[in-house]
Amino acid sequence: MAEKKKMSVAEILAAARAEKGSAEPVKAGDTAATEPAVDSAAGVESPPSQPEKKPVAAKAAGGGRPSVADILAMARQKGAAEGGAAAAKPEAPKPASTAKPAAAKPAAAKSEKPAATGGKTGVQRDTASILAAARGGAKPGPVTKAEAVPRPVKPKPAVAKEPLAPARVVPPMPSRPKPAAKSEVEDRRSFLSYAVGSFMAVGFTALSVTGGLFSLGLARFLFPNVLAEPPSRFKVGFKDGFPSGKVETKFVAQYGVWVVNGDFQGEQQIYALKTVCTHLGCTPNWLEAEQKFKCPCHGSGFYKDGINFEGPAPRPLERYAIRIADDGQLEVDKSRAFQEEMGQWADPSSFIPA
Amino acid sequence: MHSSGFFLKDVAGFLGGYYAFMAVMNGVAALLLWQKKRNVWAVTWAVFAGAMMVLASLALSASPAFVPALPSGARSLVNSLSGPVLYTLGTTVLLGVLFVFRKFFVQPMVAWTILNVMLVLMGLSMADENFAAIVMKPDNVPIVGLVFLLAFFTWVATKQAVVNDERIAQGLPPMEKVNDEKVLVWPDLVYTELICMVGVSAFLLFWAIFLPAPLEEPASSVKTPNPSKAPWYFLGLQEMLVYFDPWYAGVVLPSLVVFGLMAMPYLDFNKKGNGYYSIEERKFSYLVYQFGFFELWITLIILGTFLRGPNWNFFGPFEYWTPYKVEVLNNVDLPQMFWVNLLDRPLPRAPQGAGVLSQIGFVLLREAPGLVLLGAYLVLLPPLLAVTVFRGFFAKMGFVRYMVMVSLMLLMLTLPIKMILRWTFNLRYLVSIPEFSLNF
Repeated sequence: MAEKKKMSVAEILAAARAEKGSAEPVKAGDTAATEPAVDSAAGVESPPSQPEKKPVAAKAAGGGRPSVADILAMARQKGAAEGGAAAAKPEAPKPASTAKPAAAKPAAAKSEKPAATGGKTGVQRDTASILAAARGGAKPGPVTKAEAVPRPVKPKPAVAKEPLAPARVVPPMPSRPKPAAKSEVEDRRSFLSYAVGSFMAVGFTALSVTGGLFSLGLARFLFPNVLAEPPSRFKVGFKDGFPSGKVETKFVAQYGVWVVNGDFQGEQQIYALKTVCTHLGCTPNWLEAEQKFKCPCHGSGFYKDGINFEGPAPRPLERYAIRIADDGQLEVDKSRAFQEEMGQWADPSSFIPA
Repeated sequence: MHSSGFFLKDVAGFLGGYYAFMAVMNGVAALLLWQKKRNVWAVTWAVFAGAMMVLASLALSASPAFVPALPSGARSLVNSLSGPVLYTLGTTVLLGVLFVFRKFFVQPMVAWTILNVMLVLMGLSMADENFAAIVMKPDNVPIVGLVFLLAFFTWVATKQAVVNDERIAQGLPPMEKVNDEKVLVWPDLVYTELICMVGVSAFLLFWAIFLPAPLEEPASSVKTPNPSKAPWYFLGLQEMLVYFDPWYAGVVLPSLVVFGLMAMPYLDFNKKGNGYYSIEERKFSYLVYQFGFFELWITLIILGTFLRGPNWNFFGPFEYWTPYKVEVLNNVDLPQMFWVNLLDRPLPRAPQGAGVLSQIGFVLLREAPGLVLLGAYLVLLPPLLAVTVFRGFFAKMGFVRYMVMVSLMLLMLTLPIKMILRWTFNLRYLVSIPEFSLNF
């Protein structure tokens, strides 16, 4: 429906050309000009090339703006008038928009030859004459850029023309050259291969040595000279700073640790809980009013002793090692963690009896 | 925390424009209907447009006495009723009703009425401070758009499917086969794309200018924002994580979604419905896909965006998001239920200093109930279904395709099943092996 309303540019042009073509048959030169252009590239006109030309011709017929073919046709018309090659007119009566451009083709091709001669005698050498000259094979004139592009070429005309090629004679296979007898004398060239095996071995040895050194250099980056993180052992104050039932949250921001004085399985202990949720690693919040750790990400909840009781967390919070240092302060060691489900909370270094 | 004067002054201008927009929208609809000689509907929407103009002027007054809002009784009722169970079951039932009575709902006037009701309800709710704070947050505005856009596109597709189904029942070809005129890529398609590109770019520019992205404090590994939310398109995933261990809900299930979608063309043996919309001709595929998409993805995104507050607690739409909401959920694992609560025995536990093998043996014994259940679900159920419900499918698809299809479906269904178990039995995990981070 949409197409009926607005004709595309292509359709309008096609329609206009169809009209013109039927009005004056000279315009039929359109097709004639397009197809020989293909021929000239192919060299000799051969029947198998016909189906390939169809799309080209159709494109020229349906194409929008005045194509190269159009321009050439106009030029040729001029040349024909000068050279007197009027044969093109009667021999190509079919309009450009004809359904079977292939049928019109031989006639068009025939009409080309006179046009070529006409072009040569012309005073000014226009594109048409140059092309015609090239097509005739008399004089390979310069071609335009577009035409210099090789077209999909079909069977080589030169081969086809050759009359009765003689049966191919297969030359006898040359006997394989005998390997030279290994010389007993060692020359300088073989010195390296004796030394390290072969040149390939030298190359691969060098490659692997370089690669190894490079990897070692990379690994060095894993051990920086300066560590900008807080030490894994730190003191949190004296024991009496942690009264019974208290969850100390002031070490969370710097060290990621809650120090708790709480009850675990009937025992009063001081322990350091790691502030990482065992579900996906968010940092839970200590809710004083509800007496629980609650994770904001998926709602996991932990009792004061770190045991998980709500939400998806699969296991209790982890403990860090804690001890009483020589000066009497509590010292947390983050390099060691204790997991309840592995039975590690029984380890005496995971808590301090309060 | 109900509507205070300050808040109303802020929101009044927006609400005035909102109702005025609705009035214009309905006025245009009335005009178009009048031209089509559907006078009753035209008059109805004209009157409705007038009512919207009245609401707009009331909203612009910005005084608590006049701004149209839901009565506080209704709001607290909604708050007290809402919860994850009701939300999920409610949306399922709602989608089911929409599906069953689709012939009724696809009528343009019905759809228009529903759209207007939705918009009016949203406008009335917007006068509530808590509701507006969530809905008008720049992050969440796209989700509001998503709700309406999805409803619209689903309506369009369903309408075409209903029309086609009726035509096919009468022995006629579907609309797509009747109206299959082709248009040119150039200029028809390319021009359309160009215009869309310009329009969308302009829209995004204005959006970026008027709704700036919210910036938060610098990230810190020891401070998690509360609530901590994934990007909106992953909120369904975050909701799944509430019910599962990360390896399953975060790795296995999303990969299965991708692979399942990729496998679809190879599992589908139904030649019908190719190139046109139809529901009747491919009911099974339609229902399975829509359940997975709407129920297990979209509604979870909406739940995660609007109804999950601090500590990932559930909040009603008009509830204040307090981080101190207490909601005790004592979750228990299946072994605990089985050994301790049912058999009244302690959990099987390896004796002190036992070897690795005996420890593993004790773990397997402890988790036996969950493992048996899971094994039955994944191993026994497919052949059982093959000889009962899916007998025809099995015959048509062959062993491999059938097994892939059923396995994908069963794994998809683990999510709703686990949700129901969590709500009804407070079940945390069926299989809980924290020693090896293996929980299901």
